[in-house]
Amino acid sequence: MNRREALFSIGAAAAGAGIAGRASAAELRGVPAATAQTADHMPGPIVRGGDFKVFTDQTDHATLKAVFDRLIPSDDHGPSASEAGVLDFLDAQLAGPYGDGAAYYLEGPLQPGHEEEVMGQKQFLETPRQRYAKGLKALEQYAQDNDGASFAALSPDRIDEILTGMEAGRIDLPGGVFGQAFFELMLQNAREGYLSDPIYGGNRDFAGWTMIGFPGARYDYRAYVDRHNEDLALAPVSLIPSN
Amino acid sequence: MANWKKIGAGAGAIAAVAAIGAGTWAYETLETSRSDVADDNVTLATFEANPEAAERGEYVMRMGDCAACHTRGQGEMAGGYEIETPFGKLVSSNITPDTETGIGKMTERDFFNALRQGIGQHGLLYPAMPYTAYAKLTDADMHDLWAYMSTVEPVQNDIDENAGMPFPFNIRLAMAGWDMLFFKNEGFDGDPVADRGRYIVDGAGHCSACHSPRNILGAEQGSAYLHGANVDGWHAPDITSNAAMGVGGTSAEDLARYLGTGTDGVAVASGPMAEAVQHSLQYLTVDDRLAMANYLLSVEDSGAERTAPAKIADSAELAYEVNCSACHGLNGEGIVNAVPAFKGNNALLADPSSLIHVMLNGARAPYTEGARTAAGMPSFAWKMDDAQIASVLDYVRNSWGNQAAAIAPAKVGRMRETLGASQPISALPE
Ligand code: HEC
Ligand code: HEC
Ligand code: HEC
Repeated sequence: MNRREALFSIGAAAAGAGIAGRASAAELRGVPAATAQTADHMPGPIVRGGDFKVFTDQTDHATLKAVFDRLIPSDDHGPSASEAGVLDFLDAQLAGPYGDGAAYYLEGPLQPGHEEEVMGQKQFLETPRQRYAKGLKALEQYAQDNDGASFAALSPDRIDEILTGMEAGRIDLPGGVFGQAFFELMLQNAREGYLSDPIYGGNRDFAGWTMIGFPGARYDYRAYVDRHNEDLALAPVSLIPSN
Repeated sequence: MANWKKIGAGAGAIAAVAAIGAGTWAYETLETSRSDVADDNVTLATFEANPEAAERGEYVMRMGDCAACHTRGQGEMAGGYEIETPFGKLVSSNITPDTETGIGKMTERDFFNALRQGIGQHGLLYPAMPYTAYAKLTDADMHDLWAYMSTVEPVQNDIDENAGMPFPFNIRLAMAGWDMLFFKNEGFDGDPVADRGRYIVDGAGHCSACHSPRNILGAEQGSAYLHGANVDGWHAPDITSNAAMGVGGTSAEDLARYLGTGTDGVAVASGPMAEAVQHSLQYLTVDDRLAMANYLLSVEDSGAERTAPAKIADSAELAYEVNCSACHGLNGEGIVNAVPAFKGNNALLADPSSLIHVMLNGARAPYTEGARTAAGMPSFAWKMDDAQIASVLDYVRNSWGNQAAAIAPAKVGRMRETLGASQPISALPE
């Protein structure tokens, strides 16, 4: 700005001040007045379960249920994973972008051994949906080979034994399925389903949140922050109110 | 902005009075001697405005909120705002000085005739253009407004105002009958300086266009002046001195603050009132706003009373705490200058259209020099079904000293449909 411009702008400021008898006004531009959800921001429909899209094979379904109900069995603390809708949750997840591995890099090159060394854990080119398809078949095959029975028909103790072996890295499954990694995938998904908002199909009737005492999707805790060492008995709340 | 739907309710009747209107009885309403003070030679396109007059005229334009209807994304004052009526679509005119598509060929006299008597370039105007209120504008304000209009940038934007109206509603002469019945071809009946508040409210401000109920032919009911009315899915509340439902309990200073900033510390203007504040009222002087407030507080009490209370559902308190309290406060206290309080907010207690509207579509508070948050109210359409929305609003309307009748979920459902709001996701097929 040269000096003349500076003088001009002072002049403009003075002219502005000249109409000061008037109330000053300000308008915001470019901020949308509308705050309603647009279609692309809408959450998906509520998962109610029942109709399976991915676990359509009876045996796969039974195998997964047998695993999940040992990871989270029905007991004094609450219902089992399958009773709380965790299979419905996982089925819906695997039918969508999670099942497609949309968030993963799934291209080569993959150099077994070397990759694992660099990344510190096993690497996969399959999507989660493919890993379940393959893993559940492999579990069934393992049971047939070693016990001469269907996986779902095994005793709870025997299932625990197999799962413990997989978790410890002692048991790999037929068809080149890494036991430990598949176990970890199932454990992670079982927890997610049991503890996520009921709108996604799991945590049915707030079973998971009631168990751990989590009050859910509440907006504001200012009414409670000063209340120490007392059971607030806050009822869990879903993102989508049910009453 | 206002939808003027009701104007169409008596469409048949309008057609019937058209014949009468075309006759000699309309002489009085079409008599334009009031415009004798205006020049009839120089056109708007060629008029050389005195800068001071134009500046004063800009103030009159702000009071009249011309931009609310005439600026809709097609250029300043270039028109194009579509107003749906049951007998078809009306579009606001291009009022820039463009000679071909605007009002550049109008003389000052033509302009006076259009603004104060509803006699436009193509014939009689429909009363969606609030000439019934602008009729009160003084000659001095009209001269200044004319000067301002000449400084507007000409924009070429061809508009066929009533092309969307089928026969016989497209016959502009029909308005002669309407004018004869409902239009008073008279200026302001008081002293525009001493009576400044009423002059703005009834004249340029055209407040009663939204705040007074209309009769079946779309004319304001004088007997229910400022008693509150529904416009375009909103409720413009009672703004008479009534203390139970109107603005009677408010001080003139707080009322003036609401007009200038959109909030008095309790209510926050939403919808069409937020627009009126943001684009028009915040530009007025503090004195003018105070004059309007004092006038409103002197308007005869509507006599409105609170309705019988609604029963609050057991689940409503939790729904309120979980969804609303973060912004509106656990005790309905709101957030000063940003989020409306529910305690002591009379506007909540009458017709619930605005409340349902805001729940379904969300809303944004006006952004003004005095209140710069422009906070947003989120839409709950995707989250709550009709009964849940009715129930949480019943809670709001019957807590903290409030009292109002129950809202029928079916009313929420009807508004969900007309506003095109989404269905709650709990109702969508998986
Ligand atoms: C509530 C909406 C609204 C507001 C506010 C409004 N107008 Fe209009 N105006 C209209 C509509 C709609 C038309 C077209 C009516 C018709 O064609 O019958 C119109 C028509 C006109 C015309 C006639 C144009 C022609 O070609 O004959 C003029 C002039 C005009 N407006 C000027 C103004 C000015 C100046 C203001 C502010 C003081 C204003 N209007 C405020 C809605 C509005
Ligand atoms: C286009 C329609 C429209 C016009 C014109 C209009 N209003 Fe309003 N007004 C409304 C609506 C709708 C509301 C309700 C806003 C809300 O619920 O937040 C309202 C609310 C108000 C309130 C708040 C009432 C309360 O109890 O909180 C006041 C005061 C008011 N208007 C005064 C005026 C004045 C004065 C004018 C004229 C200068 C005017 N309005 C012009 C539609 C309008
Ligand atoms: C994120 C903050 C926020 C939340 C959460 C919120 N509101 Fe609002 N609400 C606002 C703001 C800001 C406004 C003012 C909008 C305006 O002026 O256009 C508002 C306006 C309103 C109004 C209109 C009042 C009037 O004068 O017309 C109602 C009714 C309302 N809210 C009810 C609710 C209810 C019921 C809930 C819970 C279900 C809720 N709000 C949740 C911020 C919020």
